[in-house]
Amino acid sequence: MKSTGIKRNYYGYLFIAPFVIGFLIFGLYPVFNTLALSFTDTTLMVKESNFVGLKNFQRLFADNQFTKAVKNTWLIWILNFIPQIGVAMLISVWFTSARLKIKAVGVWRALFFLPNLLMPAAVAALYFSLFSFYGPVNQFFVRMDILPEAMHFLQDVVITRGLVVFIQWWMWFGQSIIIVMAGMTSIPISLYEAAMVDGATAGQMFRRITMPLLKPILIYIFVTSLVGGMQMFDIPFLLTDQRGSPRGSIMTNNILMYLKFASSKGHIGAASSVGVLVFIMTTIAALGIFYVLRDKDTAKGRKLDRKLFFGKKAAR
Amino acid sequence: MRKYILLLLSLLIIASMLTAGTVFAEEPVAEPAQDKTVLNVWSFTNEINTMAIAFEGLNPDVDVVYTMIPMTAGEYQTKLKAALGTADAPDVIALEAAFVKEYVEADFLADLGDLMVYAEEAETYPFVTDVGTHDGVIKAYAYQATPGAVFYRRSLALEYFGTDDPVEVQALMADLDKFVEMAAVVKEKSDGNTYMVGSSGDFQNPFFANREQPWIVDETLIVDPMVEKYIEIAKMFRDEGYEAQAQQWQEGWFAGMNDSLVDAEGNAKQVFSYFLPTWGLPYVLAPNAASADGATDTSGDWGVVTGPLPYQWGGTWLGVMAESPNLELAKEFVRFATLDQENLTNWATGVYTNEYLAAIDPEVPEDQKQAPGDFVSSQVVVENIVDSFDDSDLSAFLAGQNSYAGFAVAAPSVNAKLMTGSDDAIQRALNDPINQYLNGEIDEDALWEAWKDALRIEFPDLIIP
Repeated sequence: MKSTGIKRNYYGYLFIAPFVIGFLIFGLYPVFNTLALSFTDTTLMVKESNFVGLKNFQRLFADNQFTKAVKNTWLIWILNFIPQIGVAMLISVWFTSARLKIKAVGVWRALFFLPNLLMPAAVAALYFSLFSFYGPVNQFFVRMDILPEAMHFLQDVVITRGLVVFIQWWMWFGQSIIIVMAGMTSIPISLYEAAMVDGATAGQMFRRITMPLLKPILIYIFVTSLVGGMQMFDIPFLLTDQRGSPRGSIMTNNILMYLKFASSKGHIGAASSVGVLVFIMTTIAALGIFYVLRDKDTAKGRKLDRKLFFGKKAAR
Repeated sequence: MRKYILLLLSLLIIASMLTAGTVFAEEPVAEPAQDKTVLNVWSFTNEINTMAIAFEGLNPDVDVVYTMIPMTAGEYQTKLKAALGTADAPDVIALEAAFVKEYVEADFLADLGDLMVYAEEAETYPFVTDVGTHDGVIKAYAYQATPGAVFYRRSLALEYFGTDDPVEVQALMADLDKFVEMAAVVKEKSDGNTYMVGSSGDFQNPFFANREQPWIVDETLIVDPMVEKYIEIAKMFRDEGYEAQAQQWQEGWFAGMNDSLVDAEGNAKQVFSYFLPTWGLPYVLAPNAASADGATDTSGDWGVVTGPLPYQWGGTWLGVMAESPNLELAKEFVRFATLDQENLTNWATGVYTNEYLAAIDPEVPEDQKQAPGDFVSSQVVVENIVDSFDDSDLSAFLAGQNSYAGFAVAAPSVNAKLMTGSDDAIQRALNDPINQYLNGEIDEDALWEAWKDALRIEFPDLIIP
């Protein structure tokens, strides 16, 4: 019996082997390769390349384009994340409320999730047509006398940014609802019943029961949304001219990286330096989220556990 | 027993993971035929597939595997760059005018100097071979020559200028000043309901084609006076209301071609002229001359003139990857597609019908064919076939005018010596600053600053004054 127990451990390794091998080849190797590339002037169109030290990074900070891209990305992400998590929480509370008893929750949930199934390319094309100079939005506003004459919506900084924020919110809030609802339904109903017996209000129940028990779920949404947000690409890329126009206002980190890659010579060395900085920035921000939202009561006793947990998350 | 089952299961998982990649990678490409030499050709339209099938007809032992990757948002260029120097690289690649120079200036294309004798024989237009040449080595040839022109509405010309004759209309817009005067007359006589052009972007190419210096000289950015002139004229067109503010390739721009353009208040608007090159007639103007609901059709109401400035726009070149295992066959394909006089004649005169292609390859898609009218790169072929267009469908579209003859006059004088691999990125970076300036959001100084900032992203070594 003893010997089979040890052998079983080997089977464990065998079972995780597909993931580990896949991760090493497609996950870890590209990270290190990107790091190595970021110190070179490698281009796709010229075969030789040289080690240039930190020159790529210096260049990123020499002009204002990288800082602009970082600011744009954070702005667009925060503006879409706050309403996203807010609406997700509100709707989830309504849907799971024992008092409201909303019917056909599944149908609503599916409807909210639908935009997420659309191809970003189709969504971008749809909004591009709607807001074009000869498009329906202009026709509506001019004929309703809201606008004196047609305008170039997608050449306006505020409107274009607002559209990206809205599309990101619209495409992703359904996803957040599903996760938040899963979290809320996993909270034992007996806690709420006990609270109701004690005469707690809906607000009190939300603050004292739902929020604390939902924290792990919220951290998960926060971090995955952050990682996704820092890599935001398809909608801002396709909505205007594939350069983050107007005036670079929707040029995100990844669009900047793509522009460097897609430039005439294909500067993948310079593009990698953007990727490396975005990676570092995202890691620091994710660790910051864990730190701020940590469970303060049991923090001391679980110091060791948390270290392991952080190690795992950072590697992803 | 359980041990073996577990072992088997885990091995199966690993095996399925490893094979999954290869299975998916092979699926989209057609299975190459047995006992045939496979030639991989990549392009961004299905156009060259017609020639690929014709090539298979002449070379039964060759299987051309044709892969089309669209370039709507740069997918083709991205895919091609990623495949360079890897085993996935194709044998023959199609290169659009916007990025052909990037490849001609780089290390990946084979020297096609052997084919120059055929080009001399076919009298390929000099600018076509100039574009394919870098440091004296020719790496790409084209089957098209693409001189530009101005297409105008005959009925509107008759109404505003009393003539629809191409010679007289050309005299009216013979230079830039006259072109601007003409725009003013169009606006005045139509009470602002007809625009001279759909978008000021329409005449960007002609201005840029008439620069004196390329964008980059000795690693330094050059702003040619013609670029400043373009921005000045574009601003005037916007402020005076000579342009419809449509964007090229967008709905409003196409709507102007068939008189279905309606402004936001619901007033009908018309567009007097379009700057389009050779391919613009069969591929852009003619297919869009009838509105979607069939209510309006402008066919037969168009004329074509050289316009205020000579220029060329677009075109597709073919190159061979230097590391292709089928180098000779790939070269032969390029020779056939771009320099073979019989093929070019067939291409331009509509011999390659769907039935013709289906006889070679029964699985050919129903829309695969080449309609007559594409302007080819060989002067010999052009001179042979030019008269055959006197009473073609395209001539009927132009009220009897033979556009092919007009292009045959314009093509030898086209100059593409200014073209470099950086042009496309530099010019695309200029578009948004120009739009911002035209909208009055920023002043001209800010326009240049915004453009130079954007250029620093893509040209790390460029000296920007």
